[in-house]
Amino acid sequence: MKLSIVCIALLLLAGCSSVPLHTNHGELKNVKAAIADARSANAEACAPAELAAAVAKMYWAAHEIEEGMHMTEIDELIAGAIKSAKKAKTQSAINCKPKAKKVAPIKISLKGVNFHSGNADLTMNSKTILNSVVKKLKAYPMSVNLEVSAHTDSDGSATSNLRLSNLRAKSVMNYLVAHGIDPSTLVAKGYGEDKPIADNKTAAGKAQNRRVELNIL
Amino acid sequence: MVRILFLLIASFIFFAPFAASAASVEERSKAIYTQLKGNNNYYAHLAKKFANVAVNEKGQHDVTAARQFMDLAEDSAAKAGGQL
Repeated sequence: MKLSIVCIALLLLAGCSSVPLHTNHGELKNVKAAIADARSANAEACAPAELAAAVAKMYWAAHEIEEGMHMTEIDELIAGAIKSAKKAKTQSAINCKPKAKKVAPIKISLKGVNFHSGNADLTMNSKTILNSVVKKLKAYPMSVNLEVSAHTDSDGSATSNLRLSNLRAKSVMNYLVAHGIDPSTLVAKGYGEDKPIADNKTAAGKAQNRRVELNIL
Repeated sequence: MVRILFLLIASFIFFAPFAASAASVEERSKAIYTQLKGNNNYYAHLAKKFANVAVNEKGQHDVTAARQFMDLAEDSAAKAGGQL
């Protein structure tokens, strides 16, 4: 009798004890792979709720497998865990998408860049200005494509003005290239007298129209 | 007399684990939710999910599973920074 009481007590104890859950069941192979995939996408930090849902469902499925009943529930939990893991991976990519670094647009002025009268030779003052442009371009963190455009006033024939503006644009471009700017990022174009920004009837207007610009493409 | 003594001991052994954690699964679950409110940590989410499973299992009268999942929930809550 004593022995039976002891046995009953031990059985009751065994009933109360909990065996730790483990997830080494073959049925959970795909779930574990999906969770590992989500973890490698940094889901623990970037999609914690979704990853936690996947892991909890996996443990729940493991419990049901160990019980050996509720086959439908096991299938549902496994499918749910895989779905949550996949969602974690997708959400992780969205939540932790690297933000494009904002770079302030480059502003370069070629105001003051002039040439000796009637030709494309840069003045000393122009070279000083272009040196600072070179410095600015080299310090800029992004590669930018630029157009060096040259313009003339309306004095002389349109053909000669176009030719001269082409030569001046190329002169500036050559100077920039000679000082280390990548030639593949530059284009030189002369517009002649076609794009005035001031009145060509006054000396002041003509001076404004004779100009070189650097435009970002 | 001896039989009664054995029965008492057996009863004590049987009920001791329950007495040790007198709080119900629902109460422990509520404590986890309170403790982890606003915590977006992975382990905080995991703790709450395990707590939900525990409550669900208890609803299905599987007390052993409920306790197992509640233990997992509390372990996760501790990793999340909760003190339970």
